[in-house]
Amino acid sequence: MFEQFFYQEKGLFLQSLHPAAALTYLGVLLVLALIFTNPLYLLGLLLVVVLAIIAAQGMATWEVYFRLSLGMMVLVIIINPLVVHAGETIIWWGPRLPVFGPLTVSLEAICYGAAMSVRLLTIISVFCLYNLIIHPDKALSLLARLASRSALVLSLATRMFPAMMRQLENIREVQVMRGVDFNAGTLKERLPKYASLINILLLSSLEDSLEIAEAMQARAFGSGRRTCYRRDTWRPRDSLCLGGSILALVVAFYGQLTGASTFIYYPQLSYLLNSRMTIILLIIMLLALSVPVFMSWGWRRCLYFKARI
Amino acid sequence: MSLFQSENLIYYYPDRERPALKDINLRIEEGEFLLVIGGSGSGKSTLARVLAGLIPDFYGGRFGGRVYFQRRDIREIDRRQLAREVGIVFQDPEKQLVMTSVEAEIAFGLENLGLTPAEMSRRVAEVLHFLDLTEVKQEFTAQLSGGQKQKLALAAVLAMQPRVLVCDEPTSQLDPVAAEEFLNLAKRLNEEMGLTIILIEQRLERCFHLADRLVYMDDGQIIYEGTPAQFARWAAPKEIPFIPPVARFFAGTGFSSIPVTVKEGRRLLRSNFNIIQETPGEPVWLKTSGAASGKQRVIKGNPKEPVLSMSKVWFAYPNGKEALQDVSMQIAVGELVAVLGANGAGKSTLLKTMAGLLKLGRGRMLVKGRDPGKNGNRPGDGRIAYLSQNPNDYLFQDTVEEELLFTLNNFGLPDDGVVDELLAKLGLEPCRRVNPRDLSGGERQRVALASILVTRPALLLLDEPTRGMDYRLKDELGALLTALCKEGAGVVLVTHDVEFAAAYATRVLVMAAGRVVADGPKHQVLGESVFYSTQIGKMCRGYVDGVLTLPEALARLTPVQPARQAVSG
Repeated sequence: MFEQFFYQEKGLFLQSLHPAAALTYLGVLLVLALIFTNPLYLLGLLLVVVLAIIAAQGMATWEVYFRLSLGMMVLVIIINPLVVHAGETIIWWGPRLPVFGPLTVSLEAICYGAAMSVRLLTIISVFCLYNLIIHPDKALSLLARLASRSALVLSLATRMFPAMMRQLENIREVQVMRGVDFNAGTLKERLPKYASLINILLLSSLEDSLEIAEAMQARAFGSGRRTCYRRDTWRPRDSLCLGGSILALVVAFYGQLTGASTFIYYPQLSYLLNSRMTIILLIIMLLALSVPVFMSWGWRRCLYFKARI
Repeated sequence: MSLFQSENLIYYYPDRERPALKDINLRIEEGEFLLVIGGSGSGKSTLARVLAGLIPDFYGGRFGGRVYFQRRDIREIDRRQLAREVGIVFQDPEKQLVMTSVEAEIAFGLENLGLTPAEMSRRVAEVLHFLDLTEVKQEFTAQLSGGQKQKLALAAVLAMQPRVLVCDEPTSQLDPVAAEEFLNLAKRLNEEMGLTIILIEQRLERCFHLADRLVYMDDGQIIYEGTPAQFARWAAPKEIPFIPPVARFFAGTGFSSIPVTVKEGRRLLRSNFNIIQETPGEPVWLKTSGAASGKQRVIKGNPKEPVLSMSKVWFAYPNGKEALQDVSMQIAVGELVAVLGANGAGKSTLLKTMAGLLKLGRGRMLVKGRDPGKNGNRPGDGRIAYLSQNPNDYLFQDTVEEELLFTLNNFGLPDDGVVDELLAKLGLEPCRRVNPRDLSGGERQRVALASILVTRPALLLLDEPTRGMDYRLKDELGALLTALCKEGAGVVLVTHDVEFAAAYATRVLVMAAGRVVADGPKHQVLGESVFYSTQIGKMCRGYVDGVLTLPEALARLTPVQPARQAVSG
């Protein structure tokens, strides 16, 4: 039921990236989405992320994410102008409200809200991309080198989750057959019924956890220094992906420091294209970030290319 | 030199008055295949944990005597060193896998041993290949079947390259095909790789002949040590149930040599036994059917009225899989129906559909003449009881009694003495005020059963009730279900256990790919089937047909020379 929200091995190019390269790429996308306010740059980022999702054959999954974020986006666009009064171009005067003061809607605030909703969608899409291309074990193995115990706990939790969902469903069925009607009664009456479901699950899980601990002990867990099993290989594609990500990051910082990529909303909107650098930097950044997408495209179509990277 | 040697081993679990093991003096030789048998609570699993170094390290408790591994006291061996030498595979594959993916799971133990990356890669690759898991190496462990999971647990242990492999009822959660595969692997490891195997098992039909030596335990003590054949000869006259049916048959007839496999049994049968001719008109099985009954069935209620009838029932899961296809059947009062079939054949779906937990796609189902989906009847209105695979799903009250009252209250039924009656009937009277989570596995199942029988259901549905049970518990369950049938209930149980079905069912259904492919009285269905047959059935096939269980075989066959019994004893 929730399968599409979990990683599925499809043998794609993007899934074959080294976790360090893939995580850096996703990290740069996330950071850039957070530092930019310029609508052109935000839209550009969104475009790259969506292209990468297409390359990861994840459009069907993304649609679900998109539908979920749509509501939040609309909310941001509506609420922002109502509570922010920094804009000067007032396009609608409303009644005076007790706490908020005079209700005014400015063009600047609407634009800012719109840009923020694009940022929100971009960030959610980056997480969608993460689920599509990074095997949780790979991310964990990277983490394991830094914090092995936390990584193990996370791994156990990921492994137990589907089994626990199944178990919860079994317990629910059993309770139904014992005369518990989960649909009847008020919320207050229904809550204890669900509480006992969780109670049973907890009791059984506690018993099971002892057995898992025993199995881990039998396999020498905690008997001394651990080593780390690696099966990731660093290929030219990973260097290219990493290079692209770093280049994009450098360009972005340069743009922000020189002001070429900044955009001011309040009190009045600034020019969208205030210099030629704005466009040049944008194009460099987008190309750098699209390196994995280009490689994925070439990898599927050109055998020679496939063999070289 | 023995690999393992124990001297006067005695062990108490923490806070227990009775020892779980006492006076254990055991030698295990290098390269041996040792089978450890005994009932639930006989101390088999405890012994396995001692040999794997988990007792007393992991469990605590009081430990006396000595255990040597390669002449060194096992308690002085470094844990990492011992884990390299002795590996253990546990009962439930769900509860011994740690990582999310197959490859990482195998590497887990190697990481713990602190091996170099190069060494790990080599061992992981070897083990994946040897156990034929290469295809699934990228998979999530959650996606694997039960058999594959257990094979993965074995792979994870084998990668650590132990000299000894301890298996604690490794097949109890598996279907027969996967169980067979696992046991054959164990045999191969023993024969080809020279591993010492210590196997603890309940289902002896499959593994009795694999062992070089056998240890029989009861109440924490070793009662008998010897080869399987010697044990069969020793145990059979004492009515100890821990020998396969074929051996029990030959011992029961007083035959001089006791075979332990179907192949030997067939050979001896043909040359040494006569068939007793049936009395005309009455097939012999009518006289011996039902193992527990014996007499003519007395059934209350109208036997003609079906408890449940299904006609042309279809069911499809949201992913499009048609798990039930055109299923029609009637379950009559007093019938005990066993549903057999491979994994994924739709057995559990059938059971859940009968329980009303799944809505029919097409078709009609009537329970006692009423449609459970109509008139606001909701699933579980008390006329149908359902026992899931895991009795722990039922237990959450503070006492056993409260578990029973919980169901009664939910249905708004009065306690008209039904609680006392059931507690007595299921032998739960002594633990009435005990927390159900403190009980053993067999008792937990009986509490779960009691908690659904309080409504006096007309139809009882059970999903693999004999999983992980020993012979004694199975017999108790069989007798109980037979008694319920006599009182006028219908019972449907899904099982992989053909022996159990043959002993207690009145009717057998075989399912495959969502369809019912065979349905009829058990002698007809199991007698005709080559694969879904009992060990006795397989032995008698082609020589004397229609024989499935031990009492039937004893009634139909007699040794040519009964006098030999006295000579060779």
